[in-house]
Parts: sequence; structure tokens; C-alpha cells
Amino acid sequence: MSDLSVRDLVVKYGDFLAVDNVSFTVEAGAFVSLLGPSGCGKTTTLRCIAGLETATTGHISIGTDRVVCPGHETPPERRGVNMVFQSYAVWPHMSVFDNVAYGLRTRNTPSAEIATRVTEVLRLVGLDGYGARYGTELSGGQQQRVAVARAVITEPRLLLFDEPLSNLDAGLRERMRFELLALQRRLGRTSVYVTHDQAEAMVMSDRIILMHQGRIVQEGSPRSLYERPANRFAAAFIGNANLLEATVTASHGDGRHTVTLPGGLTLEGHVATPGWVPSGAVLVCIRPENVEPAPDGIPATVTRVSYLGPVQTVELQAGAVTLRADLPSRHVVATGTALNIRIDASAVVLVPET
Amino acid sequence: MGAKHRRLIGNLLAYGAVILIVALSVLPVLWTFLISIKPDEEVITATLTYLPKRPVWDNYVSIWTRSGFPQLILNSAITTAVTVAICTTAGTLAAYAVARTRFAGRQKILLLYLAVRMFPAVMIVIPLFITLRNVGLLDSRFGLALAYTSFLLPVFIWMMKGFFDAIPPELEEAARIDGASRLTAMVRVILPLVLGGLVATSVFVAIGAWNEYLFALMVTSSSGSRTWPVGLQLMVGEFQLPWGELAAGGMISIAPVVILFAIVQRALVRGLTAGAVKG
Amino acid sequence: MGLGTLSERRGWVWFLLVPSLLLIAAVVLYPTFWGMSLSFREMRLNRPDLGTGFVGFKHYVALWNDPVFWLSLRNTLVWVVGATMGEFLLGLTTALLVDRGLPGFRAASVLILLPWFLPNVVAGHIWALMLDPRLGVINDILVRIGVLDSYFAWFANPDTALGAAMVVEIWHGFPFFALLLLAGLKAVPLELYESAEIDGAGPFARFRHVILPQLQMIIVATVVLRVISLVNAPDIILILTGGGPGRASQVLSLYAFLKVSKEFNFGYGSALAMVLFVGLMGFSYLYVRLSNVLKE
Repeated sequence: MSDLSVRDLVVKYGDFLAVDNVSFTVEAGAFVSLLGPSGCGKTTTLRCIAGLETATTGHISIGTDRVVCPGHETPPERRGVNMVFQSYAVWPHMSVFDNVAYGLRTRNTPSAEIATRVTEVLRLVGLDGYGARYGTELSGGQQQRVAVARAVITEPRLLLFDEPLSNLDAGLRERMRFELLALQRRLGRTSVYVTHDQAEAMVMSDRIILMHQGRIVQEGSPRSLYERPANRFAAAFIGNANLLEATVTASHGDGRHTVTLPGGLTLEGHVATPGWVPSGAVLVCIRPENVEPAPDGIPATVTRVSYLGPVQTVELQAGAVTLRADLPSRHVVATGTALNIRIDASAVVLVPET
Repeated sequence: MGAKHRRLIGNLLAYGAVILIVALSVLPVLWTFLISIKPDEEVITATLTYLPKRPVWDNYVSIWTRSGFPQLILNSAITTAVTVAICTTAGTLAAYAVARTRFAGRQKILLLYLAVRMFPAVMIVIPLFITLRNVGLLDSRFGLALAYTSFLLPVFIWMMKGFFDAIPPELEEAARIDGASRLTAMVRVILPLVLGGLVATSVFVAIGAWNEYLFALMVTSSSGSRTWPVGLQLMVGEFQLPWGELAAGGMISIAPVVILFAIVQRALVRGLTAGAVKG
Repeated sequence: MGLGTLSERRGWVWFLLVPSLLLIAAVVLYPTFWGMSLSFREMRLNRPDLGTGFVGFKHYVALWNDPVFWLSLRNTLVWVVGATMGEFLLGLTTALLVDRGLPGFRAASVLILLPWFLPNVVAGHIWALMLDPRLGVINDILVRIGVLDSYFAWFANPDTALGAAMVVEIWHGFPFFALLLLAGLKAVPLELYESAEIDGAGPFARFRHVILPQLQMIIVATVVLRVISLVNAPDIILILTGGGPGRASQVLSLYAFLKVSKEFNFGYGSALAMVLFVGLMGFSYLYVRLSNVLKE
């Protein structure tokens, strides 16, 4: 059963289409990310689900309730959702306890129960004993935890996250990813998570919905998005990719084709989207970690080496083609030397431009 | 001469100039205070005495017991309180609306609030006089307070809008999503956060109403509604008020202004300059 | 239906706006439009026999032929230009000085606001006492340092009355400019000063090329606001000189006010106010336009 369904959502500001006909569903208990660059409509979509933004047209249902449909908008406080904001939005004039308790108070929960539940939730997010502090006395990470506690205590049908980790520094951000995910798994709440950070989306999500210019570009598991990008944008946005323009010169059925790169180099690859039959110009997507050294491979010259610790990023020139390869660091590679490489046919993915 | 020397001399000159300007601002008031505590024979003398030889509070006693002065202060206080009550009620709601919601016509409403500040006082006071007379509010403290809203309400709305703008929208949205209606979110989350600004803005409006002279001169005519600026001016004109008493009256009248300003000056300066910093 | 539920309705924002809009309509818009129509009508409270009929441009024609109107117009120009310039220059000087941010300057920036918050009546009398022809302290000082031979009646002399009133007004109004220009200066990014300094710009060049362009918007806005309030409000002149001696310090707003409050001639007073209103609108429009043109 799907817990959230968004159908034909459109949000227009004047002539600007912020969200352009977006439809998707989220199944109960799942963690789904809306991923994309800033201005792609992901936050607007999330705010429409929350009720903080008015949809121009479209339908949104949460559980069995239709919260947005033509002529009707359920106000946010009656949607049974809760949200963690990018800026945390911890109320500075209230203590941590009051911040977290607010949602229960608006629901007229008895105060004895409030006290028990707030204490419990504060322990859950690791803020034991911070109840009396005020928002201004907390670090960014602690405010973040208050925001999470405030969102989960009302046991919402749907948890929404609007780039909650983007204001934290790198180390804490990575730790919080796992903490948030563990919390979500433990509570089993259906979650929609907005982020522009593809690594974050990959680590946390059951499913990623990739957006660009107000539209959904592709949706699927992190693995399928990485291994089978739907177009140039998807390939470039998620992970690193060598994107080469090529021409289809032979087709072998079953989605397998031979392509010719500029300079005459030929490769065999398969289409990313089953059923798509390319002809003429296509894009070839090769992930840098799939470019391997091989004594009998394609001859190339090393033009630049960047040492990153576990791997080294090597820029190679193979005829007219420039390639990036991520090679294990243990083999020392020097700029200007020759290196033969091979690319496994299973790692050559043919992608349409759009 | 090194850069360090030049900087030092520049700073000394700046100190000198700033002290001069502060003296220029404060000394006239101080001088008036000195006059207010001098006995008559020290004010009216052939050779001016600067510091009072024998400071006395007689002038304060005699202006306060002079017929009508406490009544003038009371009238001003009531008029000011009513003006502030009207402005905080209508103005806070309006400022919240224009700062916090996006609706068709918002720009036009903002422009209206701005444009009414340009209307000449003399132009409004004439028909307002007749209107107040027609509805029986002429020569009343409530009528005068209504007249004051004509120029104080737009100022209040603009200043409060600045304070509302300074509060991140997420704070309110978080309350909505946590179960609060728009009204509850406004009352429980936003209003407590703008409280400092609300007090400062109210003080600014209160000072404006307390100080006002022209409308009061036009609208009030009896001792039951006349405010202190009009009354004090009348005493000068009709009774040849002695200097010491005039100065004492002035000091009494500006005391609340100075005290209120001192209390809220930080927030007040922030509110008054919010527009300037944004450019 | 509770207020909370009402607040979810689409029209909620208008519930919030209605009180202020009603008030403004009642105490600003309605009187203004009525004032406009009054300027085409006869209305004298002390002459009910004349009725309140429509008289067309009668008041405007009378105004054109009224030498006091032209004198007041001239005085208004002198008054507004002189006071605005004086307040602006003193305010800018103060702001530039205080912006150096030396210890104690923040307190100074608060103290200099004192004159601005004083009531017109008190500000007027403070200076009336100090400039008094018999016992004024300023006369005393000027005589002591040898500028004057004997005490001078500043407000009673037609040549100095308007000027003396202007001094009082400048004292009363300069903190407004100081406050807002200082806020503007504080908003100038530090890098701009630093890059100008690295480019070798002297203090004057820095002021001309860095500070002035950054302050332009504030200068335009403050000058418009100040001119409007100087044109509109005759308070301080009314308190200091009553427009005299003779009509030496009579300005238009005061003339209109006296026509109404002393002669009860509401029609003529409204016509004078209309001239002010139209003049201000024209000034504000032209001034804002011109400053934009200069920017490009």
C-alpha cells in the first residue's frame, strides 16, 4: 500500500514552472529521497506535501486522505505529517522540552504523558538532560536533534526532511546520516527526504527520485540510478562519469550495440533503459572506476594524476578521447607515461541525450 | 609623518568633532534644565549666571500646581494610550499580513501604506476637523487619537513589518506542521519573538503622539481634552509664563520621552534603520 | 466557527488587513479627497451665510493673485532647501565621524538622537530661551567672545527670523539623517574600503567613489521623507515666530493652517494645501527619477 501519492503536481509562480507535472508514490515505511540541484523543484514538491506551499493543480493523498485536490487544500496542521527544516527552526523563546512538547500540547495530550514521551524522545535522539536548555544555547548538531525529536514525537504518518544535514560540518553530517536512517528504521515512519547531495541520497534511500527543472528525470534504487542513468543529466549528476559522444555502428540485439568514438575507437556496450533502441548519435557513460589497466588493452597516455589516498584519479588520452580513471593507489603512475587500459563491456552504458 | 601618527591625529580630531556634536545636541537641554532649577532672581539678572547658585525645585512645584497642568498631562497620557492601543491592534495585524503572507494586491497595499505618509498634515487636518465635528468627536481625546493614527499607523506598520521580516518563516511553518493553526502559530510563536520590536515600535508611536502639536491645536479646544504641548504654548502666550516654570514644564513633559527612549533605544534604532540597511 | 478555523480560510489575510485599511480610509483617504473637493468649494465656518457651494477655481485664482501666497512660497523654498541641506550635511558629517567606531562612539550615536525625540514645543522654547534678546545665553556668549556688540533679537528681526528658525530646525532634525546614514555606512562591505585603500584612493576619492554610490538610495529616500515633512509641518515656525515678524517667516503650510484656524476659511486653506500636495508629488517623482538617471 502506498502511504503517499502525488499525482500531476504543478506549481507555477507567474510564468515560472517550479514543479512541472510531477507524479510519484511512496510505499509505507519507505525512505525516499527527492534529489536534484537547487531550483529543481524538490523543495517546492516537499512543501506542497506538507501544505506550506499551494499547488497550482494536482492531487496529493496521504494514506487514504486526499489532502490536495482541485478546490481543496488541507491545512498543514491537519495532514498528520511532520517536518525537519534545513534551518532546524528551533523556537528560540522556548526550552528544548517545550519545543519538543509543542506538537503534543496542540493535540491536548495530558501533561503527565507529555513529560514521559518528551523524555523518551530526547533520549532517542541523544539529548538526555537537555530539556531545560534554550535553542540559542545549543550547537547546530544539537538543534538538529531537537528538530528531529520535535518531528517524530507526534508520530506523524509521514516524516518530511528538507535538507536537514546541509548546515552541518562534514564529519557530523556523515554521522547524522546513519543516525537519522537508524531512527527512521526503528520508528518505521514513511519518509520523504529532500537533498542536493547525491552521496547522502545514495546512502540513506530505499529509492531516489531525481529531479531537474521541475520534472522527474528518473526514479529507482540508488544502484539502478548509478548503473543505468536515464540521460546525460542523470549520468552527470550522480557520481562521476566519462560521458563520450559516439555513434552506433552495429546492433546485436538484447540491447547490445557497438559504438564508435571520435578517433575511431570502438567499444561494445548496452543500453541503460531496457527497450530503448539507439541509432546514430548516443552518449557513452563509463564510470571512472571501471577503467582498468590491462597490458593488452587500448594504448593511452597519462596526462594528469591526482592522488586522493585510497584511489588516484588519472586523466588519460586515448587517441582523440579523454578519459578519467580511478585507479588503486598502490600502483604508482606518472604523468607522461604510457598505460594500456580496458573497459569491460558490462560497464559501457549507452545513454540518450535527454 | 608616519601612517600611525596620521591615524592618531585623525582619531583625535574625530573625538573632538564628535564631542562637539554631542555637546550641541545635549547642552541646550541641559541648559533648560539649569534654568528650571534656578530661582527667578537668578534667571532675570543683569549678568547671566551659568550654574545655579542655589538650586531649587520651586518651578516644578508651581507649574504642577498651576491650574490645569496635571490635567494637560493626563489628557496627553490618555490620548497617547488610545493612539498606541489603536496602532498596536490594527498595525500589528496589518504588518503581520504584509510581512508574512503573499496575496494578490500585496504590493499595492504596501504602496498605500507608504504613500499615505506623503499626504500633507495641513491637508488632512482641515477635512478631518470637519469630519470629527460631524461625528461629535471634535475636542475629545479619542478624536485626537484617531487623528494621530493618520500619520502614526503607517509608520507603525512599516516598522513592525521590518521586525516581522527579520523572523525566519520556518519558525512559523514548523509550528503549523506541528499542529498549530495560522492564528495559534502567530500568537504563540511569532508574537513572542517580535515582542521587543513591538515594544520599541509602540514607544516610537507613543512619543509621536505625546509630542504632537499641530493636530492637537486644531482638534482640541477645552481643558477636558487639550494636551500638554498646546497647553504649555497657551500658558506662554496668555499668561507670560515665567522662564523657570516654562523650563520646568518642558522638563516634566520630556521626561517620559527620554526614559522610554533610553529603555528601548537598541531595538528602536534597529527598527528605524531596518529599511536603510536593506538598501 | 472558531478563530483558529477562520484563520485557515483563504480570506484570512483580509481579516488582518481590514482594521488598518478602514482606519486609513477614514482618517487619511476620505479627508484627503474631501480636502480636494473643499478646495473647489466655499466654506467658512464663521460665515455660514455663504453656504458650501461649488465655486470652481475661485480659490485658485485668488491664490494666484495673493501676494502673501507668493511670499510664502518663496519662504517655503528657502526654508525647505536651507533646512534640508543643513540637516543633511550635519547628519552626514556626524555619521562619517561616528562610523570610525572609536570607543564611546556608540554612546555618542545614541546621545545625538536626543534633539530628534524632543517635542517641537520644547525644542522651540529651548531655543527661544537661549536666543532671547534680553537674557539669552547664546547672545551672552556671542557678546563675550566679541562677535556681537549687544544682545540681538533674532526672531524679531525680519532678516534673521527665518534663518534663526532654520537653525532650530536643523538642530531638531539632523539626527534623522545621522541615524539613517550611519546605518547605511555600516552596511557598506568592508572589502570595498579595503580594495579602495589598496588602489591608493585618498579619503576624498574613497568618499566620492565608494561611500557616496553605496549611500545613494538612502540619501534619496531620506531627503524625500525629510522634504515632505518640512513642507508639511509648520509647527516649529508657528511656535518660534508665528510666521512673523510681519510675514517674514511665513511658509505655505503655516499660511494654510492660519487661514483655517484663525480665519476659518476652509475652502481657501484647502486650496493652499492642494498646492502643497501637488507640489510634493511632483517633487518626489522628479527627484526619484533624476536620481535614477544620474545613477546610469
